Amino acid sequence: MAFRGVSIKSHHRLLYEKMCGFLIGNSPALTINNQTVRHRRTKHWDPKWKTLRRLKVIKVDLPNFREKFDELSEEEVRSRLKQSGVLPTRPWQEHPFSITSTGQIFEAYVPPEGDGKVSPITVQGAKQSLQFLEKKTKTMLTVRKIRQFEEEFDGPQFCKEATNIYIKVHELMAKKELDNLTDYVTERVYPEVIHNIDNKTLNWKYLKDVELPRIVHARHTNVVTNDNIFAQVTVRFHTQQILAVYDRFGRLMHGSEILAKDVLEYVVFEKHLSNQYGVWRIHDKIIPTWLPPREPLRRTFRKIVEPEVDSTVVPHEEENVEKDTSKELSK
Amino acid sequence: MALTISNNIVNSIFKRFQLLNLQNALIHNTSCLNAWKATKEKGPTHWLDYNKKIYPPQTPDEEPRKAYVCHQRTNIKYSPFKMWYIASLIRGMSVDEAIRQLKFVLKKGARDVQEVLEEAKELAVKEHNVEFPSNMWVAESFVGKGTVIKGIRRHARGRVGTVEYFHCHYFVRLEEGTPPKHYYANHPKEPHELLEDWLSNMRKRKVINSI
Repeated sequence: MAFRGVSIKSHHRLLYEKMCGFLIGNSPALTINNQTVRHRRTKHWDPKWKTLRRLKVIKVDLPNFREKFDELSEEEVRSRLKQSGVLPTRPWQEHPFSITSTGQIFEAYVPPEGDGKVSPITVQGAKQSLQFLEKKTKTMLTVRKIRQFEEEFDGPQFCKEATNIYIKVHELMAKKELDNLTDYVTERVYPEVIHNIDNKTLNWKYLKDVELPRIVHARHTNVVTNDNIFAQVTVRFHTQQILAVYDRFGRLMHGSEILAKDVLEYVVFEKHLSNQYGVWRIHDKIIPTWLPPREPLRRTFRKIVEPEVDSTVVPHEEENVEKDTSKELSK
Repeated sequence: MALTISNNIVNSIFKRFQLLNLQNALIHNTSCLNAWKATKEKGPTHWLDYNKKIYPPQTPDEEPRKAYVCHQRTNIKYSPFKMWYIASLIRGMSVDEAIRQLKFVLKKGARDVQEVLEEAKELAVKEHNVEFPSNMWVAESFVGKGTVIKGIRRHARGRVGTVEYFHCHYFVRLEEGTPPKHYYANHPKEPHELLEDWLSNMRKRKVINSI
């Protein structure tokens, strides 16, 4: 155990060991094994067979399991693929396209402010009913158009059907039976319906109508060809509902099991009229601008404060670039 | 072993091609050399499924159920046998205490465990409706053996030894609430418990030839 000194740079901080014995100094044998950091535990007493000892272990190229493929740069991915002899995948250039529903609401209905509160006897109420009349002509035209394809189309009857669809969608959503959901909602609204419902239990109950549902707006449009017609009908629902949302552990997150609330909603239904098998489906919900803010969740959050960026201040780098270009120009 | 063998085979084929005066240097041999990498490792499958379990709604008079979150990190390049000490150390600690303690553990695996705990905390708030992430404790913390890659090592007299390059999985479950006083069941008894035991034993004893 005696003389285990090392030559290496004596000023190195990581070297804990005392330099001692005959190995101190500029002996020629030691310059070969010039290891920068050596600890007591990493060192063999005889450096003579060091290279041979190294050759005893055959190096294995260990895979990095923790490497994330998404974080690699394009060049790295290329070299990896080349190394493993895999051809790069064909770029995905197709764009998924649904032709069974339209992408938006055409000429959306603008709900009058204070709807659901204003009585028709007051001045405001009278004004509102007048405004409705003005907008009615286009709606009448669309209803006529719908009757060309669907002869028995009738307002009150349709509203009953719409209520059934509305209830069915909410029930399927609460039960999370998503397989049949597209029979009642269009492809446009489907992601919005299923958003954020996983890991939760929803208890939803439809109690009664406060007012009878009625058609407030109807529009139609043709897509690509003249005879390819879609119709959208906005129905006003004023209902009483119960909603309770529980988290994964059955703890109440939002709403209440006993509190009934009046809900006023404008729901847009859509049908592909030209399609023989087209059905009325929920397409969207119109959220008025005058809507009061939602009831917040009953829990505390850490508010993430984003640093305010002063738009008038130019960052240093950009400033330098500008200066450089100006110099070049002056030259 | 496979690595070197395939390398030799490829090299010999390559030489033959050269002898045949075929176009050399056109053979791509990296694919077969790296073929062993393509075998997909089957990692742990069930641990994260506990995060998908949905419990039935509770009535307002019931005590709210404690939230929990399971988290894991797979195939850490560290020995599972060494990792066990780290995993056992933090059992039954509150999360913040565990992270604090891990900062002073001078082992490579401690960094991974620390990161996993921090990720789990974040996950609890984001996805599992936990209000205060600091109000959680390490309910379960254990290690699994991951992929073992075998390398070779020369021994004397033409013999071969194996070198095992271990990987490990680390699993953790954080539960809401304060940690229990004792994590393990076989904790030392309190003085009053000892007294009770002694008393009951004394009363139970049989006095021979008595009434």
